[in-house]
Amino acid sequence: MSDWLSIVPLLLVATSGLFIMLADAFSKEKAELALVTAVSLGTAGLVAVGLLASGSALPPLPEVLGSYLAVDELSLFFDFVICLGGALSALVAGGYLREHELERGELYVLIVLATFGAMVLARSTDLLTLFLGLETMSLSVYAMIAFRRTSARAVEGAMKYFLLGSFAAAILLFGGALLYAATGHTDFAGIGAKIGSGEVEPVLVLVGMLMVLAGLAFKVGAVPFHMWTPDAYEGAMTPVTGFMSVAVKAAAFAVFVRILVVALPGEEVASMTSGWPPVLIFLSVLSMVYGNVAAVAQKSVKRMLAYSSIAHAGYILLGLAAASVVGEPAISGVLFYLLAYTVSNILAFGSLVMIGSRGKEAVDYDDLAGVGRRHPYVALPFIIGVLSLMGFPPTAGFFGKYYVFNAAVQAGGGFVWLAVIGLLASAVGAYYYLRVVVVMLMKSPAEGQVVAVPMKSGYVASALAMSGAAVMVFGLLPSWALDLAISAAQKLIG
Amino acid sequence: MTDAKFLLFFFCAAIALAGAIGTIASKLPLRAAMSLLVTIIALAGLYLTLDAQLLAAIQVLVYAGAVVVLFVFVIMLIGPAPETSSAPGSVVWRMLSLVGIAMITATFAFSFVDVASTWVAPPAGFGTVRGVAGEMYTKALVPFEIVAMTLTTAIVGALAIARSKTASELAEMKRRRVAEDASAAAQPAE
Repeated sequence: MSDWLSIVPLLLVATSGLFIMLADAFSKEKAELALVTAVSLGTAGLVAVGLLASGSALPPLPEVLGSYLAVDELSLFFDFVICLGGALSALVAGGYLREHELERGELYVLIVLATFGAMVLARSTDLLTLFLGLETMSLSVYAMIAFRRTSARAVEGAMKYFLLGSFAAAILLFGGALLYAATGHTDFAGIGAKIGSGEVEPVLVLVGMLMVLAGLAFKVGAVPFHMWTPDAYEGAMTPVTGFMSVAVKAAAFAVFVRILVVALPGEEVASMTSGWPPVLIFLSVLSMVYGNVAAVAQKSVKRMLAYSSIAHAGYILLGLAAASVVGEPAISGVLFYLLAYTVSNILAFGSLVMIGSRGKEAVDYDDLAGVGRRHPYVALPFIIGVLSLMGFPPTAGFFGKYYVFNAAVQAGGGFVWLAVIGLLASAVGAYYYLRVVVVMLMKSPAEGQVVAVPMKSGYVASALAMSGAAVMVFGLLPSWALDLAISAAQKLIG
Repeated sequence: MTDAKFLLFFFCAAIALAGAIGTIASKLPLRAAMSLLVTIIALAGLYLTLDAQLLAAIQVLVYAGAVVVLFVFVIMLIGPAPETSSAPGSVVWRMLSLVGIAMITATFAFSFVDVASTWVAPPAGFGTVRGVAGEMYTKALVPFEIVAMTLTTAIVGALAIARSKTASELAEMKRRRVAEDASAAAQPAE
């Protein structure tokens, strides 16, 4: 039985998804599905972090399961991050759906199934599980965006994401097929060993690698694969936007790390002359610059956060590229960044949900005018979340940025310049993040404007309290989470 | 690749391409569905050249037999009216996308023209019913189970989008329609 220990979080999430589906179908009164969802995902996350923190050696999986799922600290770390994002999003959704009279149980099932897919993706050690995890996650996210069927925006965003996402998945699959054609393996370790041995056709490997990277870059919303991001983020209900920006992104970055480190090592594919580092640098610089500059021009806060998530993908890609030189510090920096980004983003999107109520959602800057003076307790979490996204000490976001940029500086050479570009781009970011704060505290709503009234919801309030506490704790005492990230990164590199 | 296989490949590839172009170029939905059928059957032929006999059979059974029939049902239900002409993108964008497609195609063609001989040969029994079944039921337990979750997800997602509207949703749609009518009525006055 202890053989199964390391995938217990995954099994917990899978069974709770099926249970919630049945509970929704057979309960006459609306059960507290949001609570059940949050508790089950939270439990899975706690089990993962418990296993990780205990530091005990993980037993290998039973032989019958084959080598499709990873058994390592990295997957436990991502189980924790993804489940945390899923649980907090479910709580926010619980308040949102009730307030806007959209309460239908399917959304919670979809959140759990998407979390399951994301965990499979983060855990995949084989192109087969990678693709299946990606599809499970994506399918439920498409449906979650289209969940508010009466909104033309939601349907438009879902359709765009669905069509482009299908193309991206097909490109990724084609790339995987080329890697298989070149190496005869679908498992990352086998692909990596074969490439390391040098008995492969480099053209096939490089083209396959590029296509796989393109498919993954689409999922993290890196420029130039970002076209869907603003529309899908804006069209989706705010709790779903929060979920997409944290869980989906974390899972895609997890598989990024694993593919780059395990399947594509060696001079041929991981050098600055012919390999993935220059590709990642290209994506990273474009995303950092474009995301931040485009975010400045937005009228809608939700769209601004969408562009800012593109910029954050850029920072993380910079860390990944630096991993080709320095290894462990860059990877642990990326892991910590993803954790910090998860709690900060949920805090920001959750507060945006909290500020609005039925009949008047807070979406634009104008809706936020003066909220800080009228309802300081609702404005405070938003301000903390935005400051953390900006990288203001002593929040979690500050240390996330610090570790990633620090890794880039350690990598030396051209990476120092990339860190400088990143810092300049974050300075642009400070403008639009602080602008929200200014609007909330200093501005007054225009004459005759319908003012958004904050909703009352224990669910959303508790999600905000938890993520807010996490932002401050990871900001004031980053060492605990960083140690977990470092041990996960060290075990991966070996 | 033997000569017969080579011929079969080019024959099927040409038909598949023609069908694909027909699918996107046809204005009549029913004709598009039939072109898709042609593509699907031609793809089955391509699978045969790749030693994937079972996949070829499944392709014909599932896609040609079930999926296209479903499409045709839907087209018949909602009426086979030709699509209203949507505004095409600007000429510049269309030219740019054509250039992009040409560049990607050229990259692939030049990348792969010399390397076909180095592709790893498929293992013995590849693509037969026995081979696929052995792989699926003895080794690939985990992917098999995850596929079950993927299909569950697809069903729940389809239900979430397609189930009948709730009272509050109908009310919202009505509100929205009233608001639109009001704004449309106010438009000429301005």
